[in-house]
Amino acid sequence: MKLRYFAFFLILSAGFASCKKDDHGETTEMVKLHLHTMVGNQAANYTSTFSNNGRSFTLSNLRYYLSNFVLIQDDGTEVPIAGKVILASPDEHEWELGLVPSGHYSGIRFLVGLDSVTNHGDPTVYPSGHPLAPQTPSIHWSWNTGYIFMMVEGKVDTTLAANGSANANFFYHIGLDQMARSVSLSGADVHVEAGGENSFHLAFDLLKALQGVDMRTEIKTHSMDNMMLAEKIANNWPQSFTWE
Amino acid sequence: MNHLTGFRQIAATVIVSALFGCTWEETPIDPGQQVVMPDLPLGFPMPPIPADNELTPYRIELGRRLFHDPILSRDSTVACASCHHADKKMTDGLAKSIGIYGQTGIRNSISLLNAAYQPYLFWDGGVPTLELQVLAPIHDPREMDFDINLVVERLRRHPQYPALFRQAYDADPSPYTLTRAIACFERSLYSQTTRYDRYVYANDTSALTASEKRGMNLFFSERAECFHCHSGFLFTDFSFRNNGLYEKYADSGRARITLNPADVGKFKVPSLRNLAYTAPYMHDGSLATLQEVVEHYNSGGKNHPNKSVFVLKLNLTEQEKQDLINFLLSLSDP
Ligand code: HEC
Ligand code: HEC
Repeated sequence: MKLRYFAFFLILSAGFASCKKDDHGETTEMVKLHLHTMVGNQAANYTSTFSNNGRSFTLSNLRYYLSNFVLIQDDGTEVPIAGKVILASPDEHEWELGLVPSGHYSGIRFLVGLDSVTNHGDPTVYPSGHPLAPQTPSIHWSWNTGYIFMMVEGKVDTTLAANGSANANFFYHIGLDQMARSVSLSGADVHVEAGGENSFHLAFDLLKALQGVDMRTEIKTHSMDNMMLAEKIANNWPQSFTWE
Repeated sequence: MNHLTGFRQIAATVIVSALFGCTWEETPIDPGQQVVMPDLPLGFPMPPIPADNELTPYRIELGRRLFHDPILSRDSTVACASCHHADKKMTDGLAKSIGIYGQTGIRNSISLLNAAYQPYLFWDGGVPTLELQVLAPIHDPREMDFDINLVVERLRRHPQYPALFRQAYDADPSPYTLTRAIACFERSLYSQTTRYDRYVYANDTSALTASEKRGMNLFFSERAECFHCHSGFLFTDFSFRNNGLYEKYADSGRARITLNPADVGKFKVPSLRNLAYTAPYMHDGSLATLQEVVEHYNSGGKNHPNKSVFVLKLNLTEQEKQDLINFLLSLSDP
């Protein structure tokens, strides 16, 4: 009797364990992504006043989708992590990416945004808590069925001399298939092994994403109504992520 | 059991069994949960129905209730039915709909009868399914100004809805079941057999008057060109066309979705069934009567680089215009 329960638990825990052997006898480990959302050298948050080239601004909403992760081993072997989507924000720093073969990894590649199939899918089919399920506040355009890849909202000082206070609303809603950008980072040395930390440490810097954006005049885009501004921000994404 | 009448019979059974409340033990399968076929008018093909949302009486009834319930809007004042009235064939009679806080919207409400056949929804075709469409009015700040997760929270706390959802979908209220139920209700809405249908599908040659028949021949002729876009049993080919309403469009139409300048001023060709009930017309409700519509087409419309070649000066006589209008009206439910 006792033995049987024990066997049951053994099977159960094998299913949840972070380390297991796959069909080829190779061990796989759960790898994690550590990602800090920064504004320059400060951690992004919804209470501080930040500065962009001397112009002050605050944040009330900063969320962005990362997907289509590929981990790259030292010998160049690519390990795609199918189906994993992350909705990043200042509130969260760590996610499980998935099980990958143990070994030495030097790079990571991912999409800021979503592939077009996922982008135009039905958000209601995902269980609550899933990053692609309907979020509150919403991060999805319902009238043309697509996700907002990066949502940045807050208040900014729009005085000419940048000597006032941050009290004008600004919002950057970047979406649409053509805005997804691939980010590639190499030169890391991550050992994925049993009992290891098995984490990829990254940082996203909002100031780098807003490089070249004049926050006095360029204060809003829903993407389709201001493609130039949306593209300017999306084009900055590949340079906005660094190893941490 | 005949599939076409099955829905009515089962609905009747549900009501009867609800009244007597004792038939549950005798019937192993609850008829409210049995898949039914929609009740279609003469000549209509079977519409596509998604495998995860087949029609059952419980689902249709739940969807109907949600559709009429202002619980879906932030301040609980606006229901789907506020802009889609049954007595106006699921439109609202306004040029542009009025939503929450008395705000005027941007477009003319569309009839939901036969929506099951639409390959994409809205004047610009921006939404692919009836299920997904439900999200749009709930989140639109001009319509219901709310949030699907907050609607679901309300429904979960409601004294009746949780049980109704479990009956219909064997699940709690969720964004998934909420959107399924309303779409299921919409897939139960069809127009009726018209005099035109009796003429065409039942060979009843006396169903149309002489004027209506002349109008019909004109409609399907290379002279009036209407049939190029208004084709098929719903009188739409579902394409996006610019019919020359304006030189400059305030609403860019299909281009709002595609961002392609060649799509500016193109709108989904609307069905012409039930025009007698659905005035005013066009995406912005700018034409109040069918006289104005026919005058528009007779004039060839305004110049626009995207205007279809089929919209051109027609030189119709007064009699021909009247015949065309009479024909259009014969496409309305009795
Ligand atoms: C404030 C008025 C208003 C409310 C409330 C409203 N609608 Fe609509 N509905 C409209 C208008 C206007 C259109 C056309 C909009 C467009 O094309 O952009 C429309 C279009 C539609 C269509 C597309 C039909 C087609 O053939 O393309 C469907 C389906 C629909 N509504 C269902 C609903 C449902 C379900 C609800 C409630 C969840 C709802 N509506 C609430 C005004 C409203
Ligand atoms: C090139 C394609 C095309 C042709 C040809 C055409 N239509 Fe249309 N029709 C449309 C489109 C597109 C709309 C909606 C346009 C808009 O709202 O901007 C429309 C709208 C209408 C409406 C309004 C329906 C509603 O519910 O608002 C009527 C009625 C109508 N057409 C009748 C006719 C008749 C009669 C003819 C022939 C004289 C005709 N159409 C020829 C494409 C066409």
